[in-house]
Amino acid sequence: MHAPLPFAHRIAGYAIALIAVAVVTLATAWFFADLGPAATALLFLLPVLLVAARGGRGPSLTAAAASALAYNFFLLPPRYTLRVHGFDNVVSLIVLFSVAIVTSRLADRLKARLRDARAQADASAQAAEFAALLADKTDSRVLDGEALAFATSHFGPARLVTRGDMSGEASALSALDHGAAAWAADNGETTGHATSIMAAADWTFVPLHRSSGSDVLAIARPEGGGVRDAAQIAQIETLAGLFGRARDRLALEQERQARRRLEERDSLRRTLFASLAHDFRTPLTVIRAGVEALGLREGESGRPVLLAEIFRLERMLADLLGLARLEADAVEPRSEPVDLVDIVTDVVERGHVVPAGFGLAVVLPADLPLVDADPALLRQMLLNLVDNAARHGGTRIAIEAEPARGDRVTLTICDDGAGIPAGEEAAIFERFTRLDIGDRTGGSGLGLAIVAGFAHAMDIVIETGTAPSGGARFALQIPVFRGKALA
Amino acid sequence: MSEVLVVDDETAIRKLLTSIVARDGHHCTALPTAAKALSAIRGGAHDIAIIDLGLPDRDGLELISAIRAISAIPIVVLSARDATDDKIAALDLGADDYVTKPFDGEEVLARLRSALRRVGLKSAGGGQVAHGPIVVDPARHVATLNGAPLSLTPKEFALLHALAEAGGRVLTHAQILRRIWGPAHESDVEYLRVAIRALRQKVEAEPSRPRLIRNEPGIGYRLDC
Repeated sequence: MHAPLPFAHRIAGYAIALIAVAVVTLATAWFFADLGPAATALLFLLPVLLVAARGGRGPSLTAAAASALAYNFFLLPPRYTLRVHGFDNVVSLIVLFSVAIVTSRLADRLKARLRDARAQADASAQAAEFAALLADKTDSRVLDGEALAFATSHFGPARLVTRGDMSGEASALSALDHGAAAWAADNGETTGHATSIMAAADWTFVPLHRSSGSDVLAIARPEGGGVRDAAQIAQIETLAGLFGRARDRLALEQERQARRRLEERDSLRRTLFASLAHDFRTPLTVIRAGVEALGLREGESGRPVLLAEIFRLERMLADLLGLARLEADAVEPRSEPVDLVDIVTDVVERGHVVPAGFGLAVVLPADLPLVDADPALLRQMLLNLVDNAARHGGTRIAIEAEPARGDRVTLTICDDGAGIPAGEEAAIFERFTRLDIGDRTGGSGLGLAIVAGFAHAMDIVIETGTAPSGGARFALQIPVFRGKALA
Repeated sequence: MSEVLVVDDETAIRKLLTSIVARDGHHCTALPTAAKALSAIRGGAHDIAIIDLGLPDRDGLELISAIRAISAIPIVVLSARDATDDKIAALDLGADDYVTKPFDGEEVLARLRSALRRVGLKSAGGGQVAHGPIVVDPARHVATLNGAPLSLTPKEFALLHALAEAGGRVLTHAQILRRIWGPAHESDVEYLRVAIRALRQKVEAEPSRPRLIRNEPGIGYRLDC
């Protein structure tokens, strides 16, 4: 706070003190006869006040001493001696010294306060300039660069120490600096040079956030062996705080933009899928109606075959849309408690996947727990598995659920066809896989890939194996719904 | 015979629906845009509307709300969309039922019949309701299946009554839950699942292969017979 006055200022103070006392002495000697001793004594206060008002105790006391000596020697009877006569002379000496001390102290304090105020105004202006510099940056690299350049130009070489730098092997910091930086990052405290923590470090480390895990602003020790003062440390802390907030703002803004871009992309995608479905299904609808009209007019011959083909086209469209969703990572399961009875019934009765003449056995225990799944996705999975079972050379399909192994219900779909060749269990779930066995016909090669993709999205585990009849067996392990207690 | 309004931007679908509804003896007006549909409905000459959700000038869901603001005309939605959300939204906005493309002509006619019956029921006032083999008499709190009385809990009775009253129209999960369990429980689908399961034990010949109480996956239930 009370920094000493500059050397030149102090020398000037002593000179002014002596000159002023000399001038007053001469003037009073000239007019002594007219003035009288009381007024003369008062005049000797003038050089003391003049010097003390400039500040500095030394010059003030010098002025007081010189005034007292000159007054005593030249003017106070007996003149030209330093002997003191009478109590009033002692009082005038005390007054001169007191005025010198008190006034100089007041002046010093005032000056110090002015200096502080000016320093604070400078610091605020600097912080404002810094904040303005960072405010409009939209790129984090530019932001860091500008902030470091600003710190470098005001405080000396500056760098940013991130968490990555600290854990990295190739750190350019010495062990002590590294320790100080890590302390600053972990505890949110300023460390290193000119602080109370690891002061021997070559850098001052100021955390950008007052919390654990902060990145750290490092400012090099001043050149020439000086010590950074507390005011500068405080200012660096202020700027580091501003820097940290600017980085937070930018990170938040970037995150918001990324989210908005994602939302726009998703909405575009949804619109695209919806219009694709619309565009494909319109002609399918017209064709289906045409086939029905044909049946009405010319009897049933050929109609089931045509209808089956239409349903297959419809399933392939659903698979293509499903694939597009999987590819776009846009499968968002809407899980709810599902009764497998509902899904299985819907698939076998209205899914048009079980060919006429096929034997179908469905076994669903009455005490089957509800499962946690997206009904539409689960329906398409089951549709594809039953369709797959119907196209593998068999004539029978069995759908069976067995309650709860642990927290999962197992739903199996078995056929009596050729079965899955050994070693191909994983390959069948890949896209566009059509194994060259039996008389597989009409598959898009997508059905099982969709099954695998949707299963993954809903946390359903698929096991493949061989059915008792020798055909393929697919077992879905579906999570049991765990909601509120059921009535 | 009823006046049917068809709104679809595809000429082929308009022609198709015109010929399908003619089979049941209805007369049909087919329009390509939402704007034309709205002014036609303001005219008030139609008994029922079939609306495609993918219209060029306005979203089908918006059109449904716009129609509901001015008319209580039964609405059957034509949906080519996969998303169950859209179907639920359409039903919640006041559509009576929906048909998914590619549809079957008979299915469209059955939906039209159910939706038209709703209007008839309303005017007749809530008394005894019959649908297929099921008869529900709320005044006497009696429900019968093929004439034989059913022993139902109050919730099961209310559920069967709601489904029978809908007369083959689909009721969304939320609609049923709101009506029977109250608005606070409209997303407690497991209540509904458990009650449906209990009800099926009493009315279905084979409860694990239900033919009477049908579920539309992700959407709701309807009586099918």
